[in-house]
Amino acid sequence: MSNAIGIIFANSGSDNLQGLAQERPIAAVPFGGRYRILDFALSSMVNSGIRTIGLVTPHQYRPLLDHLGAGKDWFLERKDGGLFILPGVMHSLAGSKDAFCIKDLQNNLEYLQKDYVENVLISSGDQIFNINFRDTLEFHKDKHADVTLIYKAVRPRDDDSLDQILLEVDGDQKVSKIHNKYSLESEELTFLKFVNIIIIRRELLLEIIEKYGSYGCIGLMEILASNIEVLEILGSPTNSSIGTIHTIKDYFDRSMDLLDFKVREQLWSGVDRTHTKIVDNPPTKYTAQAKVSNSLIASGCSIAGEITNSIVFRGVVLEQGCRIQNSIILPKCHIHSNAQTNYTILDKSVIVHGENVLKGSESHPLVVLKKTVI
Amino acid sequence: MLLAGGQGSRLGGLTRNRAKPAVSFCGKYRIIDFTLSNCTNSNINTIGVLIQYKPFLLNSYIGLGSAWDLDNPFGGVHILPPFFGETEGSWYNGTANAVYQNYEFIDYYDPEYVIILSGDHVYKMDYTLMLKFHKEKNAEITLAAIQVPREEASRFGILTIDSEDRVTKFTEKPANPESDLVSMGVYIFNGPTLKQALIADKADYLSQNDFGKNIIPNQLSTGKRVFAYKFQGYWRDVGTIESYYQANMESLKDGHFLNIFDPKFRIFSNEDIFPPHFVGSAAEIENSLICNGCTVHGKVSNSILGAGVYVGEGVEIKDSIILPYVKLHKGSSVYRTIIGENAEIMGNCNIGARGQIAPGYEGITVIEDYHLITEGTVIESGMHIYRSRAM
Repeated sequence: MSNAIGIIFANSGSDNLQGLAQERPIAAVPFGGRYRILDFALSSMVNSGIRTIGLVTPHQYRPLLDHLGAGKDWFLERKDGGLFILPGVMHSLAGSKDAFCIKDLQNNLEYLQKDYVENVLISSGDQIFNINFRDTLEFHKDKHADVTLIYKAVRPRDDDSLDQILLEVDGDQKVSKIHNKYSLESEELTFLKFVNIIIIRRELLLEIIEKYGSYGCIGLMEILASNIEVLEILGSPTNSSIGTIHTIKDYFDRSMDLLDFKVREQLWSGVDRTHTKIVDNPPTKYTAQAKVSNSLIASGCSIAGEITNSIVFRGVVLEQGCRIQNSIILPKCHIHSNAQTNYTILDKSVIVHGENVLKGSESHPLVVLKKTVI
Repeated sequence: MLLAGGQGSRLGGLTRNRAKPAVSFCGKYRIIDFTLSNCTNSNINTIGVLIQYKPFLLNSYIGLGSAWDLDNPFGGVHILPPFFGETEGSWYNGTANAVYQNYEFIDYYDPEYVIILSGDHVYKMDYTLMLKFHKEKNAEITLAAIQVPREEASRFGILTIDSEDRVTKFTEKPANPESDLVSMGVYIFNGPTLKQALIADKADYLSQNDFGKNIIPNQLSTGKRVFAYKFQGYWRDVGTIESYYQANMESLKDGHFLNIFDPKFRIFSNEDIFPPHFVGSAAEIENSLICNGCTVHGKVSNSILGAGVYVGEGVEIKDSIILPYVKLHKGSSVYRTIIGENAEIMGNCNIGARGQIAPGYEGITVIEDYHLITEGTVIESGMHIYRSRAM
């Protein structure tokens, strides 16, 4: 049995997903042909042997609960442990700066109190990765750490410098500083970016909640940063690719990354599968007119058109003569004859009638809202 | 009672390693999915699966039946292997004997009606309609029946019926069938009728203990009320390589009877979780079914690729059925072939080579599961390739 339980904060929202996250939290946004973004954090925990996972819910949690059910497809329908829904409180204020809000945990204190395990593994629910945490949990235990923060060495990118939490780690793997600014004077080309995954002793977390619970909205990371002297906070590096999704550009780029063999290999070729809700679609059917290249196609589709450099989700119908380029087509869309899309993201169940041409650009992909009829 | 113990030897290399009901069908399914899904869709939730031949893969596939929503607080799916009691026991000797040996199981649930099913047919059927017919006719036994082309009829049990749909004659696999109405191997028995028939059959030393050959004709001769329920729809026996191949290929046709895309009558399956399939830049796919987890860099036409199949660059696949987890490497070509699960075809092989055979007269080539075909191998059309048996 694992010596950790999990918590996933599935309540981060974003105003920058142009309607993809309008009626659903980021965690429930469909990704990669058959998944939802949450599946990646959830599957990584399950594959690491964690069988008790609490999910901090966002404001609009219907799509999440619809997807998860009792957690059966993630092997979380169990007598001992399983999936726990932890109603989140800070509905509207969530952003990545106040990630891991203590108030959310305080409201769900029993979940942490009633277990006997040593540690709690906490992750955000808005990232694409496939990491097995067994080694890090082992490291955390061997070093008798209070907290272990998982980080990755990255080059600064000008577009995402605001949301980051950065670490400074000394030779003994001890975290000496937690801050959120790329220091402009620094000569260094790489920074150690905290990847929003943390292992913390359960008892310590309970102490923190007791002490800071009355503070209103305060994030766990902020508390750790101010107590860095008294706590044994270690850093553990990862080489895995981790895609954070905060903007529509992130969403588009991380999706298109999947067309790269190396990314798919890291994410999907190992023994650790990414689990998701199973709907038992039939295989995808290609007609004699279908023309598909460099694309990722889910099951249950019916394809008679032309697809290039695109990602097509489950149950999509593409009629003869339609042309899909550089696009992301979410489940159950129907594109009629001779319609065209380029740099377009179609949300679920969009219908595009014949001859229509939808065109965005690489930097600003066009997003069509759920159930739109064009 | 689902009969799933047969060896299915006429499927050659495909059933060397697994029972026939566990053979992959139409890419993502296994043959037994159709019968189990029919049960789910007909609200039948107590099922005994009679197994005997190479049961491991079948057992692990069925599990608790939860993939078909058949895990229930009462009933559920029960795997019933042959067993020994205090004094005696034996292998299942015929379909009727298999059910006879498990009569304790039936008694435990004490049902009013027992439906006997077979795990090797591909069809969608609502058994509740058949049961309704059975009750309306006040029948003791009802056989599901379907019309087939007369030239194929001699492979099946032939029914002769009167104007009330009452069966007057049943002949198992006759050389000259007198009608084109055949038994689908789906029987509804009244509980007591079945018990009595099985006991009588057990006492008959000359009996082959088979439902089609013995039980049904004997019950007819004793004057039981046996009716034929005429089923309209798609039904295929996939017990031979040819019929298995044809039934798979039929699923590629438009407007196919077995509408696997129908959301109201779903076919469930216990699939392995895979990412979506990837189609490379040089790939060409036409008129084919492709499953999750495939990677396609070559040409695929008129074919079915099961889950997790890898098709390398320059590979050409035509009119073929590639079962799950098969790997086909660079430059190989495959024609009119069934490649068994987990087989690996190295580069530049020619499988199903046409040679001297006139087009349209080629046989179906079959490669056994887990077989490794070395680089550059040429396999003539119609060959059945088995692995060597050395362990």
